[in-house]
Amino acid sequence: MTQPGFEGLQDGYPDYMRASIAEVEATRARRLQEGHQAPLDATGRAKLLEEWHPDYKADRKREISVGPSKGDRMPHEVADLLEAYPTVDPKSVDLSSPDLDVSVLILGGGGAASVAALFAVEEGIAPKDILMVTKLRHGDCNSVMAQGGIQAADRDNDSPSIHYLDVLGGGHYTNKPELVRALVEDGPRMIDWHEKLGVLYDKLGDGTYLEAHGGGTSRMRMHSAKDYTGLEIMRVIRDEVRNVGIPIIEFAPAVDLLLDEAGHAAGALLFNLETDESVVVRARAVVLATGGFGRLHIQGFPTTNHYGATADGLIMAYRAGARLIDMDSVQYHPTGVAYPAAILGQLATEKLRNQGAEPVNSEGEPFVFPLEPRDVESAAIIKECYGEEKGVETPSGIRGVWLDTPMIDEIHGPGTLKSRLAAMWMMWHRHGIDITVDPALVFPTLHYQNGGVEIHADAATGIPGLFAGGEVAGGVHGKNRLMGNSLLDYNVFGRRAGISAARWAKAHEPRNLSLKHVMTYAEELKSAGVKTDRVAPMILPDYRREAVLARRLDALR
Amino acid sequence: MADEKLTQIYIMGKAYDVPVGVTIMDAMEYAGYRFIRGAGCRSGFCGACGTVYRREGEYRLEFVLACQEMVEEGMHLTQLPFTPAPRSDYTLSELDPSENVLLQHYPEVARCVSCNTCTKACPQEIEVMDYVQAALRGDLERVAELSFDCISCGLCAMRCPADIKHYHVAQMARRLHSVSDSPIPEHLKTRMGELESGAFRVELDELVSMDLDGLKAKYAKRVIEKEEVAT
Amino acid sequence: MGTLTYFPGCSLKDNAKRFEDAAFFVMEQLGSPLLELEKWTCCGTVYSLTSDDLMHQIAPVRNFVRAQQAGSDEIVALCAMCYNTLARTSQRINADEEERTKINAFMNKEPDYEGSVRVRHLLQVLRDNVGWATLTDKAVRSLEGLKVAAYYGCTLVRPDEVGIDDMEHPVVMADALEAVGAEPVTFPFEAECCGTYQIVDEPHLALEQSGRILRSAVRAGAHAIVTACPLCQHNLEQAVGALSEGGVEGIKNIQVVYFTELLAAALGADEGNLTPAVRDLLAACVPAEGGV
Repeated sequence: MTQPGFEGLQDGYPDYMRASIAEVEATRARRLQEGHQAPLDATGRAKLLEEWHPDYKADRKREISVGPSKGDRMPHEVADLLEAYPTVDPKSVDLSSPDLDVSVLILGGGGAASVAALFAVEEGIAPKDILMVTKLRHGDCNSVMAQGGIQAADRDNDSPSIHYLDVLGGGHYTNKPELVRALVEDGPRMIDWHEKLGVLYDKLGDGTYLEAHGGGTSRMRMHSAKDYTGLEIMRVIRDEVRNVGIPIIEFAPAVDLLLDEAGHAAGALLFNLETDESVVVRARAVVLATGGFGRLHIQGFPTTNHYGATADGLIMAYRAGARLIDMDSVQYHPTGVAYPAAILGQLATEKLRNQGAEPVNSEGEPFVFPLEPRDVESAAIIKECYGEEKGVETPSGIRGVWLDTPMIDEIHGPGTLKSRLAAMWMMWHRHGIDITVDPALVFPTLHYQNGGVEIHADAATGIPGLFAGGEVAGGVHGKNRLMGNSLLDYNVFGRRAGISAARWAKAHEPRNLSLKHVMTYAEELKSAGVKTDRVAPMILPDYRREAVLARRLDALR
Repeated sequence: MADEKLTQIYIMGKAYDVPVGVTIMDAMEYAGYRFIRGAGCRSGFCGACGTVYRREGEYRLEFVLACQEMVEEGMHLTQLPFTPAPRSDYTLSELDPSENVLLQHYPEVARCVSCNTCTKACPQEIEVMDYVQAALRGDLERVAELSFDCISCGLCAMRCPADIKHYHVAQMARRLHSVSDSPIPEHLKTRMGELESGAFRVELDELVSMDLDGLKAKYAKRVIEKEEVAT
Repeated sequence: MGTLTYFPGCSLKDNAKRFEDAAFFVMEQLGSPLLELEKWTCCGTVYSLTSDDLMHQIAPVRNFVRAQQAGSDEIVALCAMCYNTLARTSQRINADEEERTKINAFMNKEPDYEGSVRVRHLLQVLRDNVGWATLTDKAVRSLEGLKVAAYYGCTLVRPDEVGIDDMEHPVVMADALEAVGAEPVTFPFEAECCGTYQIVDEPHLALEQSGRILRSAVRAGAHAIVTACPLCQHNLEQAVGALSEGGVEGIKNIQVVYFTELLAAALGADEGNLTPAVRDLLAACVPAEGGV
């Protein structure tokens, strides 16, 4: 299934890159012998980040001028959407007779949304009284393409306390303690729940889990299902949502939250992407599980994220009065694909490194401990390419470093990579590259929203009746998330959001739906001097080129 | 973009000039399409972008993911963004693994003539027919093993002359195999018991209220578990 | 007569048009005009009469390709029907390069079948490679005293090209059982059809066939009727049940077993791994010198 256009390439790589690959091969035996260089200490990490991590570029952020988190610094791309007018004019919507009336409305079609739905049922809400709504299909999300694993402290030599410390240190001690506690304490129970649902985690011959390290972990507690961990969990949970019969409407993103006269979350205004219709949903409780913001391409980076990751939920919640936290921090995954350009920025799992693939520069020399926390690792790679000038330049101008993937089979035996990293093997194989034979070229790619809507341990936001879980929520990971804690996050807080929403729904009834908060927010923007034709939420990014857009006609009425 | 190399492809019959060296998905957007259906994770994991094409002058159809496959001169393509494949509901805990529940829920599996059309339609290079044959025999483990990389794109079900719903059969098989043949490890059960009895409550209480210096010191003193690799 | 519904067929609209035109005129004159069936399609004769039944060969050939990929140039089968299907295809396709090329082209993306995989049945291997002397040598339990009716069924010995032995008087299974001390009986229904898959839709037919075979074995004094095919086994077992209920003399005690089960017993398989039927049969044997 290899593809056309490989003239002039030698097994997928242009000749000039072969010279660098030869250097990687030449140093491999030595590197396998001598092991890795030591990780950086706190001072070393801080210096590297300050000098090379994209988050530290002051001119790429600004202070948000309105709203509950006014004054907080965040990337321009996010601020642009928060300082934008409503996509749908609130005055144009009739809220007097809602189209749908439910107990729990869940915004999102990914992991957190699905887990919330299942636990809302367990907490006593009938499936027919729950509604999931999503912008694309159920399962088109970031959750489905997480690759390397999910952390949970379930072995004798590990404990939730050790996990706690790893999370906190990785997050630069800015995480909310109660959230980290919830994350690590609930880890084992979520794995147990997965077992009962029939998730096929990798196990050893003796029946115990095959567990690995992640960047910044002190214990090997990463549970994986090859490098399809996200897919395996998501498809099982999705299958169960279908078995239980929880209704879901696809291609109907929410464009604004509804509040009631008491200021409680009371539902949402949906937009049917296929018929252009508005759909007004009244709900006793709302769960925000709308995921991340990779498609905002912060600082022009490519992204690992799915097509719909445009921070819609963040914006809707902010307009309704929710506080945000840690929005000044953006996670770049150290190893996005750098070559070939066709798949630029797609995720190459950290599992490649925890199985032994070492990052090395154009001369085949290592330059960083392979499993630093992601922000540190990314900064190191950027420095190596643009500071030390020891990156490899691709035909498209992108620079990258090598991930010495052939080391994996050298360490663990032939066939290991193809079986434990089947997705990675396939991804490059489609472009004529065999990563068991040749190293892969990588560079940091925009990956994860470290912060988000601030929540408490029960997943409550500042808005009564609005609960949040998963990537959209903030405070769990502080300024930097560790590998494997995102899958854990959506399970732990998806569950808590579902339970909390169910309990709230049993005790509350919304009265007099309103979009007044949206109009008030627009007024605030005007008063703050925000003059723009930007609208939000974005719903979907637009990749049509300028030449096409310049000729657009509005002729189909 | 002046010296960008372009090539001609046909999107649902219409000719467009698109750049060489990009994926079908990127090419369609370059041509001016804005996806509503047919784009999901854009990384090869969600199955949203199942695409069928043929080459210029050829009659055979090829089956790929638009987000992973590169364009080729003279490609004639369309997408299949949805497969109306019915699913059989079930309660996992009530399934009896000693019976062939796969055949009970999906009797059409018995219509498989081993033509291999499904395998040839799979963009993940899965041996689809082989796992259907395993399902016919009730071999859950083999279904799970062979179907593991499935992203439910639906192309197999669209092509099957027997109208089998391969990926739904496989999903059920994998879950049932997991709960019946892959028991919950003892160490997890132990940990669950410890958590229930509050074994870590004191430690966590301490950590939650510890000051920054205390936490930094503890973090710096962490012992990193060494991986033991069998040589 | 009124109008007649006329089915033209492809030729009558093409090179045989004058045939049809004349017919229309004639029947018009005779007062029974022909009215063409609306939406007629090809009668299918070309497809049903074609000798090119290559589609039926795909499944067997795919297994030869798999064997090839695994580095084997021979497959050994145990089920007589599988043996028969695979052997007939292999002989035909191995010998015909043109058909092989067509199948390879049809299968397209699968590896090409080179045409050199042979198919044999286990009994052939035992006879031609292992040899009866070795079998006798390796036997640790004697089946002496055990009278067996070696039952071949159809597909093991027919047609001639793939039959593993003479179709009228096969001996290979009897020889195998004799090699481990059993006493094969002569019974005329040894290669008659058991009724095969008729057991599904017309069970009475299959039971009749199998019933005759069983009674013949009983009359010959057999303790067991020995099979080489899961379907024969199934049909004979069903027939034992049916005839026992019908009160037929001696049927209740005859066992139906696979030849490999008796060979396994003779070669020292653990008692715990033997079925009750085989254990019963062992009890009927005369213990060997020195005992086991």
